[in-house]
Formats: sequence, C-alpha cells, structure tokens
Amino acid sequence: MQITRVEATPKSGEGLRDVRGDVVRRRLQADYGITFSEVRSIVGFLISSDIDSSSISERADDLFADPIIEHSTLNQTFLESKDIFESTPDAVISVGFKPGVTDNPGKAALDGFRTIFPDASIDSDISTYITYAFYGVNGQATPEFIASKLYNNLIERAVVSDSEMCQQNNWPMIEYPEKPPQEFKQPAHIDLEIGDNELIDISETGLLALNLEEMKAIQSHYRDEAIQNSRRGVGIVENKPTDVELECLAQTWSEHCKHKIFASKIHHKDLETGEDSVVDSIFKTHIMKPTHDMQKEVDWLLSVFHDNSGVIAWDDEWSVCMKAETHNSPSALDPYGGAMTGIVGVNRDILGTGLGARPIANTDVFCFGPPDWQGEIPENLFHPSRVLRGVHSGVRVGGNESGIPTINGAIIFDERYLGKPLVYCGTVGLMPRKLPDGRESHIKTPSAGDVVYMVGGRVGYDGIHGATFSSLELTEESPSSAVQIGDPITQKKMIDMILEARDIGLITCITDNGAGGLSSSIGEMAEYTNGCKIDLAKVPLKQPGLSPWEILVSESQERMTVAVKPEDVDAFENLASLHEVEATAVAEFTSTGMFHVQYDDETVAYLPIEFLHDGVPQLELESEWNPPQHELFEAPINADHNNILLDLLARPNIASKETWVRQYDHEVIAQTAVKPFVGIERDGPGDAGVIAPIHGNPRGLVVSCGISPRYSDIDAGAMAAAAIDEAVRNAVCVGVDVNKIAGLDNFCWPDPIQSEKTPDGKFKLAQLVRANRELERICRAYRLPCVSGKDSMKNDYGKGADKISIPPTLLFSLFGDHPDVRNTATSDFKNPGDRIYLVGESMDELGASEVSFMLKERGQAKGIGGKVPSLDNPEKLFKSYHSLSSAINSGLVKTAHDCSEGGLGVALAEMCIGGRIGAKIDIDGTGKGTLWSRLWGESLGRIVIAVSPENETDFLKQMAGSTTTYLGTIENTQSLSITDGFDEIISADVSQMVQSWQSTLDMTGGEI
Amino acid sequence: MYIPKVAVLFGFGINCDHETAAVFEMVGGNSTRVHLNSFISGADDLANYDILAVPGGFSFGDHLGSGRLMGNRMRFSLRDELTKFIQADKPIIGICNGFQVLVKTGLLPGPDGNEPDFIQRASLTLNDSGRYEDRWVTLEFNQDSNCIWTKGMTRIDCPVRHGEGKYVMPDRESLTQLSANNQITVRYIDPNSNDDVDNNQVLPFPISPNGSMMNIAGICDKTGLVFGLMPHPEAIYAQWLHPDFTRGTAPQTESEIDWEGQGLQIFRNAIEYTISKNA
Repeated sequence: MQITRVEATPKSGEGLRDVRGDVVRRRLQADYGITFSEVRSIVGFLISSDIDSSSISERADDLFADPIIEHSTLNQTFLESKDIFESTPDAVISVGFKPGVTDNPGKAALDGFRTIFPDASIDSDISTYITYAFYGVNGQATPEFIASKLYNNLIERAVVSDSEMCQQNNWPMIEYPEKPPQEFKQPAHIDLEIGDNELIDISETGLLALNLEEMKAIQSHYRDEAIQNSRRGVGIVENKPTDVELECLAQTWSEHCKHKIFASKIHHKDLETGEDSVVDSIFKTHIMKPTHDMQKEVDWLLSVFHDNSGVIAWDDEWSVCMKAETHNSPSALDPYGGAMTGIVGVNRDILGTGLGARPIANTDVFCFGPPDWQGEIPENLFHPSRVLRGVHSGVRVGGNESGIPTINGAIIFDERYLGKPLVYCGTVGLMPRKLPDGRESHIKTPSAGDVVYMVGGRVGYDGIHGATFSSLELTEESPSSAVQIGDPITQKKMIDMILEARDIGLITCITDNGAGGLSSSIGEMAEYTNGCKIDLAKVPLKQPGLSPWEILVSESQERMTVAVKPEDVDAFENLASLHEVEATAVAEFTSTGMFHVQYDDETVAYLPIEFLHDGVPQLELESEWNPPQHELFEAPINADHNNILLDLLARPNIASKETWVRQYDHEVIAQTAVKPFVGIERDGPGDAGVIAPIHGNPRGLVVSCGISPRYSDIDAGAMAAAAIDEAVRNAVCVGVDVNKIAGLDNFCWPDPIQSEKTPDGKFKLAQLVRANRELERICRAYRLPCVSGKDSMKNDYGKGADKISIPPTLLFSLFGDHPDVRNTATSDFKNPGDRIYLVGESMDELGASEVSFMLKERGQAKGIGGKVPSLDNPEKLFKSYHSLSSAINSGLVKTAHDCSEGGLGVALAEMCIGGRIGAKIDIDGTGKGTLWSRLWGESLGRIVIAVSPENETDFLKQMAGSTTTYLGTIENTQSLSITDGFDEIISADVSQMVQSWQSTLDMTGGEI
Repeated sequence: MYIPKVAVLFGFGINCDHETAAVFEMVGGNSTRVHLNSFISGADDLANYDILAVPGGFSFGDHLGSGRLMGNRMRFSLRDELTKFIQADKPIIGICNGFQVLVKTGLLPGPDGNEPDFIQRASLTLNDSGRYEDRWVTLEFNQDSNCIWTKGMTRIDCPVRHGEGKYVMPDRESLTQLSANNQITVRYIDPNSNDDVDNNQVLPFPISPNGSMMNIAGICDKTGLVFGLMPHPEAIYAQWLHPDFTRGTAPQTESEIDWEGQGLQIFRNAIEYTISKNA
C-alpha cells in the first residue's frame, strides 16, 4: 500500500472566491476580533491504496478537484507552488483527523475512488485534511492561538507553521492517520467475592457507574446455585461474571437506560408545609398514571412509553409519533460531533418505532452559556460561542443531509450552561396505520427463530461507554472514545432501505442502536420472545481487534437492529445490497429466557433476561424542599421604558435567532405551511411549526415547544408548569385542535442524589418532585397526555467549590392535529385597522422574569425574587385556549402571538417587527398588577391577537367566558405606541426595534 | 390519453424524491421512485420511462463538491442509457442537488450538438455567503428560451435550500454564448424591479442568494429538454406553502386546482409535452 497525496485549492479569477477561507476569516473576526486581509484554503486527500500515484494523477480532476473552479496537485503541497500561492503567508495551519475518527469526506472520496478504480484493493482508504493560509494578521494572535480555535484536539490534530517557518518554506504536513492496532482480549473473569470498597473500585475504574447496592445485586446473582448450574451447562465461568456480562449489566442498568432516579422511592419532606410523604416512582405516579387515565377516554393514543417513541392515530390512514432526546455530555466535549449524533440518533428512534416510521420533521432546542461570556471557561470545555457554532453546525449537517426539515426549536442562554450545554433534538415520524400485509404498523411482531440483523454502520472503538459516561459528571479526564461524529449519508441510505423493507412486510421487529449498543438493542427486543443468542464474531468491525465486550457495548452510530423471518432473509439481504447498505445476521431470537452471547463457539455472556431487565434494585432517596431565598425584584423609579424595550429585544434569550435557524432546511418534503420565521420580510418569530405532510392534502400537524429554566431559581414546579403552558400556547397560536394534542417531557437535571459531592442533593430532588407534581396537574387540566419522554440527570461540571450545576430544565414538546393548514395564524401584524386584543390576564408576577435578570445584572435591581408566574386555574385557561384555537382554525383570526420572555411589551414589539408596521396600544385594564408587571411581566396563559374589524363581533362571541381585553389597533405607521390610560409609556420606531432584535446573535462577521 | 411515466431517482442521500414524485402525479404523470442502482444493475431500464427527474438532496453528503460523486456514477455507469434517453427527445429535470448532478455529468449546459459528450463545462460552487440557507427568492423566466419545462412561465416565488448554488463558468465567452443561445432559462430577480435588469451585475445578497454569475438560477441544454435549477419549484406546489399565505397575499394561479401554487406548472409542461409527443 502506498500513500498518495492530492490537494485541491480554489482558482482565482473574475467572480471566483475562496469561500472556505473567507468563512474562517469572518468567524475569527466575529468571535475573537482577529482580522486578516485574506485567508486561503486547501483541501487535502491522503489515499492509501495499491493504485499507483500516476494512475491517480490522471484522474485527479475527475474526483478530487473540480476542474472548472479548482487547481489540483499531486504528492506535494500547494504552498510550494509560487504561481498559485504567490506571496508568503504569515501563518499556515493544517487540520486533520485523529486515527479512527469518522472522516465523512474521506468515506465519500473512497466511494468515488471505487467508482473510478473498481479494482482498488479492499483495504484502500482515504483520509482528508484542510489547510488554511493566513495573510495580513492584525492583532496579537499567535498561530497556536488561532489553531486552537480551528480544531478540537479530542478528535483532530493540527500542524502549524508560523511566519518564520513560512519564510523558510517549512510547511505543515498532515500525515496519513494510521490506526493503532487493537489488541484482542479474551473475556476476563471478574471476581466479585471482595469487600465493598473493592466493589466500588471496580465500578469506578471501569467507568461502570454502578453503585454499591447494584454491585452487590450482581454479586449475589453469581452466588445462586441454580445460576451456577445453568452456566456450567454452556461452559461459561460459573461463579463470577465475565467482563462482557459486567459491561452489559452496567449499560442496561445505567441511569441513562433505566431511569433509576425517576423510578426510585423518594422520602419527600416539605419544610414549608410540613408534608412528610413517600413517592414510589415519580415516573409511574406523575407521568405514566395520568397518561394511562387519559388513554381510557380517547381512541387515538396507540402506543405510549414502551416503544422508541409515542404513537398517536392521526387519521384513519396515518399515525404520527414523536421523540426528543438529549446529547449533552458529548456536545460539551465535541459540540459538532456530539450534536450531530444527537439529531441522527433521535431520527433512528423514529425509524425504530413500531415496524418503522419515516422521520418527517426535526426540532432542536439548545441551552448555552452567554454567547458574549467574558469570564473563565472550565478546563477542557469551550467558549459558549464556539459551542453554539459547533452544535448548530452538527445539527444542521445531520438534519439537512438526512432530508428532514427542522421546523421548530429554541435557543436559551444562562451562564450555568457553561459547564454543560443542553442539546435537545426531537423528531416527528409518520407511518401508515396498516401495512400492505394487514399488520398494524405500531405493533412489533417478533417470534422465536427470527433472524436478527445489524444494519447500517460498522462497530468501532468510538462510542464505547457513552451510556455510562453520560451517567457521570463531566471532569477533565472524560474519555474521548465517548465522542463520535455522525455519518448522515450512511444513515439516509439505511432509512431508505428500511422503509422499503417495512412496506414489503420483511420486518418483524426493529429498534435502534443507541446507548449501550447491541447489548441494549438486542437485549430489549429479546424481551418480546424471552431470549436471544448472539454471535459477536459475526459483527462487522471498523477495525480488527475489538474485544467481545467492546463489540457488545460500542455505541458506534448509524446502526439499526432488525428482525426478519428466516424465509425473508434473501429478500432482505438483496434489498440491502441494492441500497449499498451493510446488513449482517448477528443473532436469533429464542424463547430460552436467556441473553446468550457467544464469540464463535465460546459463550461469553449468559444472563437471564429477567435479571438483565428487572434485576436492578430500586433506589431509595431523600428529598427536602426549603424554598430558596432571593432579594426581591423592585422596579427602579423613573425608568425609560423605551430603552428597556430596545434592551430586552437585544437580550440573547429574546433576540432573533434567524441567522442560525435559516441555515436549517425547514422546507424539504414540501409540507411546511408555518415556517420558523414569518411576516412580510419573513423574519418575524414563528410560534409553532405547522406541516401538511400528505402531498395535496391540507390536513396538518402542529409542533411546538416550551422551556423556561430560570423559573427554577424560585420554584422548579413553576418552571415545569410554564414550559407546558408555553408549548400549549404556541400551538394554540397556530390553531391546533386542542382535543388532540400529545406531549413529550424531557428533563435535564443536576445530580439530585445527596452525597459528599452533591451536598444539596435533597433540595435538587425536591425540585424534581415539585416539577413532576406540576406536570401532572397541568397535563390533567389540559387533557394533554405525555406519550414519551427522557431524563438526563447528571448535568454538572466538576466537583467541590468549582462545581457548576445547570438550572433544572424541562423541555416540553407538543405535537397535535390541525384540521386545515389554510386556517392558521402567524405573529406578524397584517393590516392597518385590525383590532388587537389580549387573551388572558397579567398578574403581579415579575419573579425570575427576563427584565428582572437584566436589571439585576446591571445593578439596577437588587434581585430577581418575587412571585414567579404560576397557573392557578388551568381548567379555565384551557377553555379559553379551546375558544381561541377554534377561532383560528375556523379562519376568523389570522394573527396571534404568545407572551413569553419580556411579556406583553416584547410580544407587541415582535408583532410590529414581523409586519413592519406600527400599532397603538393601551395596556390599561389588562390585569390588576403594576405597570411593570402588565408591561414586562411574564404571566402565563396570555396571547395577543389581531382581528379584522368585520370579524371582531364573531371573535368576541367565540371568546365569551374568557378574559379578553381590547388593546388597540394596527396603525399605518412605523411606530409602536403604548400608553397606560393617559400615560405615554413607549413610542418606539419599528426600524430601531428590528435593529435591536436582530443584531445580538447575528455573529456572521459582517458583510459578505 | 397517454399517461407519461416519470422516473424519480433516489438513493445515496437524495431526499426530495417523495415530493418530486408527488407533483408529477398531481399533473397527470405516473411517477416511480427508482433507486439509481436499479438502472445501473439493469434491474430497471431508463428506456421504460418518458421523463427523468433528479431531485434535490445531499447525494454523498456534497463531499468533494455537490453532485460530483452521483454525477460520476451516472457518467461512468449510465452513459449509453442517458444518451439514448436524450436522443429520444425525452425531458430531464434536475432540481437543486439534481441540477448539480446534471452539471457535473456534463449534461448541462451540454455540448453544441444533440449528442451528450459528458464533459463538464460549468460548476455550482459554495455560496458567496459561505452558508447553507433556506430562504425564498423571486425567479424570472426567459421568454426566449426553448426550454419545454418553462413554457409560458414569467415570475414565481420559490425557496432555495442550498450551500453550493453559485453558478460559474471558466470564462466570460462561455457565459456570453450561453446567454446568446437563450440557455439561461431562469434568473434571480428583485421582486420590486421591472424586467429591465443588467444581468452582468451580480444582484446583492439575498436577492441573489449565492452570487451566481449573471444571476443564473437555472439553465437548459441546447435542445430545451434538459433543464436544471437550484430553487425548488416542487416546494410551492400549493399556495399554503407560500410564506405570504397567512397574510392573504400568496400568488394565485389560474389552475382548475383551486389551491395550486406557482411551481406546479413546470411539471405540467413536461407532462403535456410528453402527451402531445405521444398523441
């Protein structure tokens, strides 16, 4: 095998640019204030193959370079070529991948290489790199500093030439990343007849994340004589686990997979009320029970909780499902790869629902540190602006390349997310209710004897210990093997193939390979038939030498596990080969009651299915509620509300995210009726996504979300209620049918288990109890079943005094029915003369409001304390939502926008921005509270609408019984004027509001 | 009446195949989604179809340049089939990634004669902004073009969704020739301007979303049968997909389908062309 180096660089000439270089130039300017006169780029390929360089040279312009716009060169670097790089750069930085890291351009290049050289040897491979040449550096930045902003040393390597080296023609050369050989290790036997401390040692050094009680449960399993006898029968070590078994148990029993905190028995004390009680599983009590109660009353809840996503019947022909996941820890370490695997991972949850659903829409909600953060950054983590860029681009690439539109989302900022960003990715799926063969698509139909395939990507060293790692806090030593880069094209090919296999009836059971890899996917499916037998030696590997336990638990991406009847095996394999998708039979279902794993003929794991899934002991935890104390927020006197409005509009939590959102494809599939940005200039905020997924049919689906983490500072219960109400409000604003809405609860919490490293664990657990109690209360009132959810319970960074814990955060996602997408409303004000109303009422609830945080940060207020928004009468509110939604989906109302951060003042400003038009408003009579609480307060349940004068009477009739207050009219001006009775409060130019709202998060580095 | 058979290619990351198949059906075609490998392996034959559509998407992740790897597969493995298809006067459309594929295979803008030579003469490269973006643009069609796909079309609004949509040619003469041949079928235009535009001036972002030379959004070959464009006309098959729909100002059409959006006519043109050819 020889290595051939090919480089390509953009040609210069009239109308041609080096866009890649220019993007880097603008990014360094926007984020670090470093300016350059020019940045040029070179893309490099290192080809390891038996094809010789001269043959490659003849075809370089057929593959590696585009002859119209690029130069190519062979076995040298372009930097030596003076006719192309005439002047000497000030610095050159070359970035390539570390060995074993997914190199998607390299994979694509290899595919193209085989098209041209079909006879190239089977082990040919291609690795890519990119080189930047910097000219005219302005500022103090060293080449090393610049390099550190261009690569992540967890997955990439960089070579740098400074100015002196450049003068000497000493150019950085990235070499081919040879993978270090992996050493195959026979399964080890682990002696558990040891002391408690040593048991804990085994768990900690092995990154198993099992506690003492769990280790002891495993210990006693191997003491059981019946177990020992059965083990003797298959020739596996009798009285101790193999490493394969211990790893498998650790994955299956991890917090990530088993949700042990939500399932725990909690002794809850409330020091405020004197309550002293026991909650036996928050999940069963507050989430599952209410949903099951609602399931008895409606006929459309097809599948809840037990599958990869919750399924509801949409109409007679179609059902829809939705799932949201988090990918926080990987996104902290490698924002790009972590977030990409997050989005393509949740897509697989949809593909793995029932007999396979088609992903048709994505949602993305991120929580980051402040983008303009000036303070310290925790060791090994990145500045929030870099996390934002990386996460955004990972989700963008993952979603766009998969052909799934991103139709809804949010970005939230708070400095406590510095230690751990939250990356929520959601996906909606669509499936025919019945397959051509008559089976209902939401029900899996496996039987013993079915052949189990691993489909899609191969297994590698990447992604080992993701599930257990995410069940631990981040530290400086967090392992790089837990980080992966997704490969959306491999997955897209697999999705195409699997949906075809579903439609011709080849699939009996399907699930995705996520956390825990094959051990979880096959292990979970084996519950249906009560047994399976796996041969790990059959599993295709990215590189030879992986040991059995690594193969079993590796979380390498882009893999589904699919069961097929023995008679359908040929058809299934032929379909895979048509699509160029790898599908390998690795196991079969049995009814032996055992999770039986072999490597060739040797049994390496032999665990009873029942012990594997139900053997984990229930946690018993303590919680104690003592309300946190805050200095009260007191409004400053003589404040200039005009300035407050403009400043609020510029706050990262309120400011426009259009730069970021517009880079997501939100319209592929040709179904998106209400887009993320709306209005005359298509840059006003959308409240919820509305799609009509069946082509030619206007029947719609609504997707929305709610998130309000800062209310947790006062009460996590109020935080949860606010998130749910916001999701519902947003959906009502576009006219959802409130009789058919379903929700997803995604909890991200700091570690709530009292311990030395978490001295406030009882309080954090009490926050969780309160949040779930509110969740139950509001969901019951709104008749809103939670059909799927997830929790991520260790969102902390570091230990001791430097520990950073995220604010307890619930993301509530909602999907619901819409009778006809032609009758929706958007937030932009439309026609002068339209009448503006407030639905709902403002209370004195300024606690933890955006305005309180802003003024406290500026030293203009002492604290953020006070009454936090709460829902005292959700049943009444729900009636009002029902009326308003009907008014919208019957075509009466075309304009609606909810009040959230920044309250009524900001909502009105956003509506003027969307319509580029003014309004005249009087907020007198909108509630009993102070001017501040009516203008900037964030009381829940409030929606601003505008209605044409001819529809006004009908609208008011429709709203009878709801609190509806006339605010004013849309004016043919460019100014928002707000009075409180006779007092003039605000008079703001629309153009100024646009400027404030759009500048903060633009971050594009200026003009193109 | 003859029902034209439409092959809608998919596989390897193409992702607008479902909606592209759907819009041909709405205007009277009979669409089949065909995996590229079915044509290459001979399991299906391109000659069985009347129209070929290469939809949008991210074939091979756009790595090594958008459309390049898919284009190579077609160039090296479907050469004869494509040549026969074109010589039988059958229409081909490439949308977004499909346009990129047709340009990289050399089918667009194509040679002077009628026989495709599979030589690349132009490229679609990174937008000047450096960003992939989804945004709506206004398109103006060339009334003098012989393109069968755009007959009777004047202006439409349509989304673009690409990171590599800047049309470039290696020299000014090639562009002048393309323009003189009326192969520049569709351009970006400022919706507030009249038709009188100097297209030697590149329009500012975001009116031109990518900085294309001569504001080119789409071109056809010499015969007018092979057509490619970066924007997505299939994504405005219905008026409710227009961003101005809730404002009550989405453009209407004269179609019998009361909800029809402006983009559907492109697909109807090819169906009608095929029906009259087979009459």
